[in-house]
Amino acid sequence: MATSMARSGLRSASLLLRRGAKGKRSFSVSAHDDAHETAKWEKITYAGIATCTILSIYNLSKGHPHHEEPPAYPYLHIRNKEFPWGPDGLFESKHH
Amino acid sequence: MIESQRHSYHLVDPSPWPISGSLGALATTVGGVMYMHPFQGGATLLSLGLIFILYTMFVWWRDVLRESTLEGHHTKAVQLGPRYGSILFIVSEVMFLFAFFWASSHSSLAPTVEIGGIWPPKGIGVLDPWEIPFLNTPILPSSGAAVTWAHHAILAGKEKRAVYALVATVSLALVSTGFQGMEYYQAPPTISDSIYGSTFFLATGFHGFHVIIGTLFLIICGIRQYLGQMTKEHHVGFEAAAWYWHFVDVVRLFPFVSIYWWGGI
Repeated sequence: MATSMARSGLRSASLLLRRGAKGKRSFSVSAHDDAHETAKWEKITYAGIATCTILSIYNLSKGHPHHEEPPAYPYLHIRNKEFPWGPDGLFESKHH
Repeated sequence: MIESQRHSYHLVDPSPWPISGSLGALATTVGGVMYMHPFQGGATLLSLGLIFILYTMFVWWRDVLRESTLEGHHTKAVQLGPRYGSILFIVSEVMFLFAFFWASSHSSLAPTVEIGGIWPPKGIGVLDPWEIPFLNTPILPSSGAAVTWAHHAILAGKEKRAVYALVATVSLALVSTGFQGMEYYQAPPTISDSIYGSTFFLATGFHGFHVIIGTLFLIICGIRQYLGQMTKEHHVGFEAAAWYWHFVDVVRLFPFVSIYWWGGI
């Protein structure tokens, strides 16, 4: 079983190699195919953009929740030494 | 002077950029240490070092593009170098990000008593994974589809379409970075709030940084495509950017599932 699988794998690999050596480029079959693929991926991109736009509108219209300030647990807002630039972390202004 | 070259390899000219990059790296590390400890002039040396490194990157890559596009030194044999280099670079990046996911899983699978024995730690308000994190997840794969569109357009010789496709790719990338910034602004925890904040911002922040690097790489490819510097047969720079971009967009799925979703409920 395993040997026959390995043999067929080798055969298809050698076929691929031979085809690659004969053709100009091994990555694509022809310019016509590339034109077809270009059109296909253009459509997929538009579908992706449409999905993301709908998701964004839905998400942004919902608004965002506001969290309450937690109790001062020792593992929150850790300060072992001063920052070179001052008391706050770089993106921490929301704490004050 | 080379009179006749009987091999397909590129013997490079002497260049000042390796030593200027090294000096920039030295100034950056020494300046960085000085800045983080109370030494005078640390910020100045750090900034100078970073400027030196950025300058070196610009002029070195400019030289490589000239050697390739204008001087024709990048034969098929020479192209193998940047191809293997790009693949090895991406493999090393996978390992780099793997460490952050390891740290996050290590801390969240068996939360310690110091943080209340639960994950997320007691008092940490987490983001709803189905809001901006979920919105931001399909934007990068869509951008990945757009870069595939650009690739096929280049192979089909549709130069203008390739430019449009790259504009779409970069636009989606910028939207993604914008939403990431919005998410960080709204996120209740900061990087100094327990091991949750440390692992969350280290993993998602480094991913976001990679998105920015990939965006710059694709912008350069878009400009080069617009200038007609890439052909059907020779566009190694674009291929490397596309590989890198697919790495970035696939990796996005891991923080979404393991950090935002599993780690946030």
